[in-house]
Amino acid sequence: MSDQAHTRTEHDIAPGDEEQHSVGERVIGYVVGLGLALLLTATSFFIAGTDLVWQPSIPVALIVLAIAQMGVHLVFFLHITTGPDNTNNVLALAFGAMVVFLVVGGTVWIMGHLNQNMPPMDQIMQMHR
Amino acid sequence: MLGKLDWSAIPFDQPIPLVAGAIVLVGILAVLIWVVAKGHLPYLWHEWITSVDHKRIGVMYILLASVMLLRGGSDAIMMRIQQAVAYQSQGFLPPEHYNQIFSAHGTIMIFFVAMPFVIGLMNLIVPLQLGVRDVAFPTLNSVGFWLTATGALLVNLSLVVGEFARTGWLAFPPLSELSYSPGVGVDYYAWSLQISGVGTLVAGINLVTTVLKLRTKGMNYLRMPMFCWTTLASNLLIVAAFPILTATLAMLLLDRYLGFHFFTNEAGGNIMMFMNLIWAWGHPEVYILVLPAFGIFSEVVSTFSGKALFGYRSMVLATMAICVISFMVWLHHFFTMGAGPDVNAIFGIASMIIAVPTGVKIYNWLFTMYGGRIRFATPMLWAIGFMVTFIVGGLTGVLLAVPPADFMLHNSMFLVAHFHNVIIGGVLFGAFAGFEYWFPKAFGFRLDERWGKLAFWFTFLGFYVTFVPLYVAGMLGMTRRMQHYDVAEWRPWMFVAAAGMAVLSIGVICQIVQIVVSIRNREALRDRTGDPWDGRSLEWATSSPPPVFNFAFHPDVRGEDAYWDMKTRAQQQSLEHEAPEYHDIEMPRNSPTGFICAFFATIMGFALIWHIWWMVILGGIGAFATFVVFAWRDHDEYVIPAEEVAAIDRINLEERRSLVSMAGAV
Repeated sequence: MSDQAHTRTEHDIAPGDEEQHSVGERVIGYVVGLGLALLLTATSFFIAGTDLVWQPSIPVALIVLAIAQMGVHLVFFLHITTGPDNTNNVLALAFGAMVVFLVVGGTVWIMGHLNQNMPPMDQIMQMHR
Repeated sequence: MLGKLDWSAIPFDQPIPLVAGAIVLVGILAVLIWVVAKGHLPYLWHEWITSVDHKRIGVMYILLASVMLLRGGSDAIMMRIQQAVAYQSQGFLPPEHYNQIFSAHGTIMIFFVAMPFVIGLMNLIVPLQLGVRDVAFPTLNSVGFWLTATGALLVNLSLVVGEFARTGWLAFPPLSELSYSPGVGVDYYAWSLQISGVGTLVAGINLVTTVLKLRTKGMNYLRMPMFCWTTLASNLLIVAAFPILTATLAMLLLDRYLGFHFFTNEAGGNIMMFMNLIWAWGHPEVYILVLPAFGIFSEVVSTFSGKALFGYRSMVLATMAICVISFMVWLHHFFTMGAGPDVNAIFGIASMIIAVPTGVKIYNWLFTMYGGRIRFATPMLWAIGFMVTFIVGGLTGVLLAVPPADFMLHNSMFLVAHFHNVIIGGVLFGAFAGFEYWFPKAFGFRLDERWGKLAFWFTFLGFYVTFVPLYVAGMLGMTRRMQHYDVAEWRPWMFVAAAGMAVLSIGVICQIVQIVVSIRNREALRDRTGDPWDGRSLEWATSSPPPVFNFAFHPDVRGEDAYWDMKTRAQQQSLEHEAPEYHDIEMPRNSPTGFICAFFATIMGFALIWHIWWMVILGGIGAFATFVVFAWRDHDEYVIPAEEVAAIDRINLEERRSLVSMAGAV
């Protein structure tokens, strides 16, 4: 609907509504993103099987690479920036991350404590005897 | 060819559902014949069924909710009568039928009454309050409504074809698993919720986008009416929580259809996981319902006290706090599952904390009323009735949030009384307040005050007579969902509750009479100015009913209470408006996409329930093809020429000017 165009301020723009860069610029952005994503993926596979680094650090390295991977996706493919035109998108991301954290974290915590009110297994076996 | 479907699906041996189904069928047929014979079908098709106008869709949502309220209410009446007579006897409902009734009552009241009612009101009012011409995604809005209607249709179909779930309104496993519920009841439950769940999610996305992206000039966040804020919070919760419900039910369906073991007793399934997940949706859900009601009360209390809302910013903060904290309390629905004192204590404390922002809201409403010139019109009566009732319900809720007390009261009638106290006293009273308050805006005439007040008093008193005895019965140890019982002490309370149900029913009848009487006297009750209550927000700045484009010009908002502000300025400066210059307006074209999508979704849902696989494929292809046709459409907008806009707007402008000059003279 065209009549809404002027109700928009430049402070909140939906994904895809950004300032139109030339096609070339946008292609370069996606190619760089793809390159970085592939690089991070390849590094993860390489690190997992290598003995070039200290072995106990491998899980930490994989976590770091995974987080970097998420960052690449957010910046190059989902176009999340820190600019004022991105407030809504950043807030939506934060809200989503918070809900996922609460639900997943809470679930793990709750399900891990479900045997709290149960006597230890050997006591149950005693009772059955 | 027809899967599990054969003649044994029709319950010929059970007179109650068959007779009820027959009456409804005759009713629907009569209405259809009347519509076709009178030639209303083209009107209905062009103006309502294919409409993408947010006001029309809102009205249809509310109509759906009202019809389903009668259905869910008759379930409630049967349950109250059953418990009144079933002392040391079987009562008049056999156990398997009684179990279907309490399951259907809960499912219908939450998903097909409360949800469509609040979504309908949000659809109807939020774009008007924001001063815009439509929601963000008009056709998607229509799809959302019709998918909700599909869910409601499937639930009602289970009355005559097959059976409904006997598992309670959340279908806890292992009872809802194939080994204990081999019939189609749980499938009816799950598929109708899956389909209507898509509709709800769509409505949520649409309304979030509308509030965030479509606001008129000058309407920044801290100038939005309270109802828009609660709409934003509630729909954020829809977007975040409904996928959990969909995923949980999908896992249950995988268990039932493809032999998975997510929630089964054997093969490593974990039933506790279902409780955990369903309540991770279920608790935000109660706030999805009650937050819009809070918004309605904020509008009503401030309008009928003739004052700006007290503590607007604290109200916004409280709303958003509830939005976040509502995701931190879900364990209080299963304290007794055995997570131990650490977990229970934290969730218990969180549950008590969420009462704080709600308390802030109550005080804000009280202070809004304090020193105001209060008009006791029907919407205001509902609001005051809500404040009293909701505090009682909230306090019993805080009591239930104490884990040791919950171990005593879990699954008792006390719990039943508590959640009816907050849902009826909060959501339903809110829906009725909004209905009475915004009815003139939607239809252009007010509702009869005398019948409205009668309806309020009967409902209000009937509510207490029905549910206070249930608190007592719960304290005496009565558990919920009992088909019959042998304890003599409970019986008097069940009698009182049944009597209360009768009073409540009179309230419902008064409400129906109110609508009939008001339609008859509509010329006398006509609202010509568009501002029958001396309102404060922008929905009153346009005519009643609003033209299809809502506003001829985008209103220019300079502060909170935008319309009040405009009225004050107009009176002080006695502005002589010169004839404004009108422009063409583009509006979205009507589209049958929603109706056709829902038609195929109904076929698909029915086929899935009865394992008719070829029909599933047919429905799926049909729905997808509808989407493709819509996506490749050529014209999606039409233009209303400036002259037409001017002609429509001038009539309203005249009425409004005479109102302002009259008020100025006084």
